[in-house]
Amino acid sequence: MSLLSIRDLVVRFRTHDGTVFAVNGVSFDLDEGETLGLVGESGCGKSVTNLALMRLLPLPAGHIDGGKVIFNGEDLLTLDESDMRDLRGKEIAMIFQDPMTSLNPVLTVQEQMVETIQAHRRVSKSEARARTLELLGMVGIPQPEARLKNFPHQFSGGMRQRVMIAMALALEPKLLIADEPTTALDVTIQAQVLELLSRLAAEHGTAVILITHDLGVVAGMTQRINVMYAGYVVEAATTKDLFARPRHPYTVGLLHSIPRLDAQPGEPLIPIEGAPPDLRFAPLGCPFAPRCAWRVDRCWKEMPSLEPIDPSYEVVTTGPQATHRAACWNPPTSGEVVAARPLRPGFEPAAPPAQVGS
Amino acid sequence: MSDMTPQTVAPAAGVPGRTDAAGSSSARPLVEITDLRMFFPITQGILISRHVGDVRAVDGVSLSIQKGETIGLVGESGCGKSTVGRTILRLYRPTGGRIVFDGQDITTAGGASLRSVRRRMQMIFQDPYASLNPRMTAAGIVSEPLEIHGVGVKSERQQRVRDLLATVGLDPSYGDRFPHEFSGGQRQRIGVARALALHPDLIVADEPISALDVSIQAQIINLLERLQGEFGLTYLFIAHDLSVVRHISDRIAVMYLGRIVETANSRALYERPLHPYAVALLSAVPIPDPAVEGRRRRIILTGDVPSPSDPPPGCHFHTRCWLRERLGNPDRCVAEDPALRPLSSGHQVACHFAEEVDGSAEQVQVTGRSPGAGGVAAAAGPAATAPYAPAGPPPRPRDRG
Repeated sequence: MSLLSIRDLVVRFRTHDGTVFAVNGVSFDLDEGETLGLVGESGCGKSVTNLALMRLLPLPAGHIDGGKVIFNGEDLLTLDESDMRDLRGKEIAMIFQDPMTSLNPVLTVQEQMVETIQAHRRVSKSEARARTLELLGMVGIPQPEARLKNFPHQFSGGMRQRVMIAMALALEPKLLIADEPTTALDVTIQAQVLELLSRLAAEHGTAVILITHDLGVVAGMTQRINVMYAGYVVEAATTKDLFARPRHPYTVGLLHSIPRLDAQPGEPLIPIEGAPPDLRFAPLGCPFAPRCAWRVDRCWKEMPSLEPIDPSYEVVTTGPQATHRAACWNPPTSGEVVAARPLRPGFEPAAPPAQVGS
Repeated sequence: MSDMTPQTVAPAAGVPGRTDAAGSSSARPLVEITDLRMFFPITQGILISRHVGDVRAVDGVSLSIQKGETIGLVGESGCGKSTVGRTILRLYRPTGGRIVFDGQDITTAGGASLRSVRRRMQMIFQDPYASLNPRMTAAGIVSEPLEIHGVGVKSERQQRVRDLLATVGLDPSYGDRFPHEFSGGQRQRIGVARALALHPDLIVADEPISALDVSIQAQIINLLERLQGEFGLTYLFIAHDLSVVRHISDRIAVMYLGRIVETANSRALYERPLHPYAVALLSAVPIPDPAVEGRRRRIILTGDVPSPSDPPPGCHFHTRCWLRERLGNPDRCVAEDPALRPLSSGHQVACHFAEEVDGSAEQVQVTGRSPGAGGVAAAAGPAATAPYAPAGPPPRPRDRG
């Protein structure tokens, strides 16, 4: 059985601008010790999915309107708040993009780490302090003894993120959710933090959900990837399969639109035209259809479900043999993946239904 | 990118009239900065403020920009790359050095003479949310530079604004809308239209795409490239993302703690980086390909960038340098400032031991292109059968058993 199993999760925000359809039926599984990447642009629902599973959605706007989140055999959505509080930090820990807003600015590092440990473990203050020291050493903070009494603002960005990682791993959680952990960091510091994160997760057997918009980061860090768009998982595959044979037009578009350091000079970028949809409108059809060169009539009306790219495949949702799945009515062929456009003679993207009717 | 290819920037062997040390051709550069320094004072005290030190944001930078080329300025936050851009535009009065724009010394220019030069240089900002006035319409924003410089009468300006909006790919009828009605990518297009309004020669683009969504970034990069071809623009492209800078630039200058440590044409920099910092920076950039990532080894620099208010003596990079450690920590790195010196045509490096970098395992790793395998061969385009499936070892990023 998987460590984590999310089924048909639906999250909406009720705002005075109307309902925001943030997550529209997301399902995925995660095994112990696995690293899963959730990739997508801002507003695709990758962070909201994880806030929902931690039951940390901003209230009163955020609502979980359906689905199940089974962690270790328990549905987290039915737990009462005190059980949930017990679980956060101990079983599932989280690291955010900006450590400055997630650390308490008026407490020293020692105070907040000891507090975290003592909230979940019956240990004396000196034991908690010793553990804190050990953790800070483990994440590579130089002279940890001297830094215990420092406040968060006295650390650099990279060091602060190390403190966050130390705190997240303090209680040896089974699952670590890292939400854009290196987006605010410089590239050489990002390399340090990613290296640390993957080494520690491997050593402790921690499962990791890595949320990022950076395909380069997930390529080196993860074993599996879910690509998200407008509140849906549109493609799910092992990291190797996803990059080798992208199947959803959005994934294909992303891979062609980012410049690669190792590309041939002068190679043009092929952008995805248009912009992500406004999530205040109820989803109708595939949300990517307006930007998609492969769309057919059906795409405007009906959202396809996530299906194996070869119908004969049996669906395996986790591990190195996970089935490559995509949600697309008219997936690009391998030649079209290379060309980044449809090559079928006479193929035109289907016009929106309003124009079809008139 | 326009007609400007890296080949036209890198001189063919034996081209006369080219002085390598300055990296400039016989043609007069559009911008030439010499030993530019920009210090920001640190003061203490409330009533009587005492000058207690300086943030040495730019500490002796020389750079020349030819007409029509794109110079990429890369480095990590705090290295002074934005300050260089802003100082060239004379948004600051430099502490020292010289700025020459199209033959005119503007280091201390002011008033009317500065205003007339500023018409010819414009800026595109990082944050398309903060850089547009929320109370002005798109047309008002684009028309403002025309009004300030008294260009044309109202009807001419209106026509020009409509043309500009169309040029950057916006429907001219959107001119009545306010910034909040646009998406991030559209806002950045407004920012680009504003920068184009006065037919500038030079555009300083300071992280113009880093606030945009991944799928939108390529739209703006392609727009900037198209406009360069159409209007013969010269770009100073400031960014931290080396993949983007490499894509758009003809030449690249790598900065570290207020100084340029390496300049080269963009192909040479990526194929043969010669400064230990440039090698480390390139190695840290993740590549969206698990097969390549599985093969690469990163140079993990220890520690953080030192404070620019108290930079290390000698070579600013010596505190984190992997090469210095390898060489047994020679004193020369601490004692002596390395000057930018030419190592090959158009390729300058500020490192006493740059020769040791050339051919080192680290340099080979970073540029590492085992023939027949790997992203470069595969990314060559339609000729390759599967661009994302390069041959090579099984690309499991990490084996967890």
